[in-house]
Amino acid sequence: MKLLTPIYTVLVCIASFGLSAESILIKNAKVHTQSEQGTLEDADILIDNGKIRMVGKGIGSDADRVIDAKGMQVTPGIFALNNSIGLVEIDALDQTADSYVDDEFNGVSFSPEEAFNPNSTLIPHNRANGVTRTLIAPAYGNHLLRGQASVMSLNGEYHPLIKKGVAVFGSYGETGSNIAGGSRATALKQLQLLLDEAREYSDNYEAILTGEYRELFTSIEDLKALQPLIKGEIPLVMNVHRAADIKALLRFASRNNLRLIINGAAEAWMVAKDIARANVPVLLDPMDNIPRSFEALGQRIDNASLLHKAGVTLLFQGPGFQNTHNGHTVRHSAGLAVAYGLPYDIALAAFTSTPATTFGLSNYGQIKPGFNAELVVWDGDPLEVTSVAEKVIIDGKVMSMVTKSKRLRDRYKNITTDKNTAFNK
Amino acid sequence: MKKQFIKTTIAALLSAVIVSCADDAKDEKEGAKPFASRYQPQEFAPVFITNATILTATDEQIDKGSVYFKDGKVVEVGKDLSEPSDDGLIVIDAKGKWVTPGIIDVHSHLGVYPAPGVQSSADGNEMTAPVTAEVWAEHSVWPQDPQFSLALAGGVTSMQILPGSANLVGGRSVTLKNVLGRSVMDMKFPDAPHGLKMACGENPKRVYGSKGRAPATRMGNVAGYRKSWIQAADYKKQWDAYKSSVEAGKPGKKPKRDLKLDTLMDVLNGEILVHNHCYRADEMAVMLEIAKEFDYKVSTFHHAIESYKIADLLAENDVCSAMWSDWWGFKQEAYDTIPENVALVEKAGACAVVHSDSAIGIQHLNKEAAKAMTSGNKMGLNLDASDAIKWITINAAKSLGIEEQTGSLEEGKMADIVLWDGNPFSVYTKAEKVFIDGALMYDRNNDELQPISDFDLGTIKPEENRL
Repeated sequence: MKLLTPIYTVLVCIASFGLSAESILIKNAKVHTQSEQGTLEDADILIDNGKIRMVGKGIGSDADRVIDAKGMQVTPGIFALNNSIGLVEIDALDQTADSYVDDEFNGVSFSPEEAFNPNSTLIPHNRANGVTRTLIAPAYGNHLLRGQASVMSLNGEYHPLIKKGVAVFGSYGETGSNIAGGSRATALKQLQLLLDEAREYSDNYEAILTGEYRELFTSIEDLKALQPLIKGEIPLVMNVHRAADIKALLRFASRNNLRLIINGAAEAWMVAKDIARANVPVLLDPMDNIPRSFEALGQRIDNASLLHKAGVTLLFQGPGFQNTHNGHTVRHSAGLAVAYGLPYDIALAAFTSTPATTFGLSNYGQIKPGFNAELVVWDGDPLEVTSVAEKVIIDGKVMSMVTKSKRLRDRYKNITTDKNTAFNK
Repeated sequence: MKKQFIKTTIAALLSAVIVSCADDAKDEKEGAKPFASRYQPQEFAPVFITNATILTATDEQIDKGSVYFKDGKVVEVGKDLSEPSDDGLIVIDAKGKWVTPGIIDVHSHLGVYPAPGVQSSADGNEMTAPVTAEVWAEHSVWPQDPQFSLALAGGVTSMQILPGSANLVGGRSVTLKNVLGRSVMDMKFPDAPHGLKMACGENPKRVYGSKGRAPATRMGNVAGYRKSWIQAADYKKQWDAYKSSVEAGKPGKKPKRDLKLDTLMDVLNGEILVHNHCYRADEMAVMLEIAKEFDYKVSTFHHAIESYKIADLLAENDVCSAMWSDWWGFKQEAYDTIPENVALVEKAGACAVVHSDSAIGIQHLNKEAAKAMTSGNKMGLNLDASDAIKWITINAAKSLGIEEQTGSLEEGKMADIVLWDGNPFSVYTKAEKVFIDGALMYDRNNDELQPISDFDLGTIKPEENRL
């Protein structure tokens, strides 16, 4: 018996090494490194122990698994932004949705990441299409600042938290006005009150917690959650569309020393220079060109391109209506932005390396030695509608490409000739 | 259209032995053809596009081909055509560019749900009774919806505007040419049949069930359709009997006209095409049974997420499926999506259509078809551009009953044509020129030829257009 223990230990080590630390060599690919190396033709990537080890030409073939990617292209995994992946199964079924709350109590402290369900069908579906991580954010709510966003991995594991509370999400414009009693002006006033009380809390929290301070409008939970925001440690992502509203928020952010990100941003192009000057990134869906509200009258298809020309940092999200179930389609929206004048690398960065930098994730978003091995091998141009993901790698592991929809497809693909056996498995 | 013809005939027989057609309309209100198309194709010079890659939507791809169209009609399509000698001929060298028929969207709510999306102009869903066959979508269409011009820039030359899906029977749809007009009549596709919007599944049962009234279940839905068809069949019987009595020279009592049953009767008469919003395969199969029971045809199942499960049945019944390339999950009935749906329907020999139901999607139907084609090819179905183009042109035309007039590049058809600046099945490709009935209605390189709606005019800055 005494002899067995060390052997057992050795076996466990080998087994876990094999599962998590298989070395992978991707060969002969066009590699969009998003790093100083730029885009490399016929390059190799060596992955070991979950990390990218080497990137370049002719690395050699010393790896547990070799993927010949001739004619293929490699990018960092898609970082899907501002969605409810893992928080919702079917939009119309409230019981499957944890991405919003409808009460008075939960404001900026609402952080849905604990509710993340890695067994959701949306995870393999998005992952097989190239999404490797997601920034989940409160979808809507009845607070101006509706909660906090977290970054989750699509590796399929339980509670795959990468970073919690990376940003606060809120609304101004028509939505904000509606929440604040009917005017944008009261919305700004209420936002100011929140921040002022958060500062009061910061200075007087002992008295506040012991009840020796005047009563505040904001809950203690929310005041705590506001602390990283008022210290400028995390950004405030605000839904806003109208040019004048964007300018009002830029002033507001400047007065309060906030790190602002503008979200939606229909008319951002009209005040692009102001946004660039304030060094404020813009999060948008480059496919949206519908003047869908009176605050979005200036919505246009080349918004992204115009913003880039003015020097604004861009972050892309997929089409609003399908940004959760099909978060991966952000790559097609990015392709459209290129068609309307945005440089290719900027479009690709807008859903890989730029959000990594913006939300403070230092080891992801570039194909660079030392970075997390989280990348996708595409059978062609990653922004093209006729390309698909061939291999998806997260934490240095090649992920399964099986999805519920592929199971359905295989069950029914020969239904015309095989009517009676479809339900056998 | 034929319905009015029948009634005109009846009126003629009733009122006099010999009357002129003009007199019919004057004498008998029912004989008038209300809301008839007043669309007039614009006059334009003959056009000869050469050196193009042409997808005819008749299973053909012609490399370095030419298209010649004149007086609104396609004259000739092929390789090695010699340049026509017309005065004022416009010759377009389309080297590196592609030509396709105009894109047709069989499922749109432009005009009835215009932008901006506010309650004041949200006129697409008459959610006041589960069967509202009496309403017509065209009476809600706002011709100044700025979204029409956006769709035009995406190569869309015709579209069907439908009522929403809250009701079992939502009302009549209308097929439009994508042209600006001062009234919806200026936009109506000449002689296109009306459609009837019906809806399966979750929407009707949710909308009415939540009001504590029928239908609250899928079985309630089915009872609702059948009750309506029983009424319609009875109504038709009365009119058929009356018509026979008039023909026999012994006119009986004229039935009282019912706007709702007029529409349903015309479905039974084969003059209005059924467009049935239906996600689930099992529900489509039930709807086909109802169609058999009451002897009407379903033209198209819309949002047919599960068509791949019954593609053989759909082929057998000659029913089109209008599908998205990848939308899913917004409702439970949209859960069993597969991106190969369109390709598998095509493979089964059934009529596959890619539709939008979206003011954004309608601008990118070429790319949606490309995604559907790609998914099919990944599973080895060997589809190419000449297959994919049909999903957004000729098959869509078939679904709408306008396939004799448009939807493919064939001699004598309407010259509804798009010149693309590259392969239309690429994310980078844009419609460069769009011709409707042979007239250049959109030119990406010419601001003067980019239609601007009233709403776009001076809305943000008085001196400027919205875009």
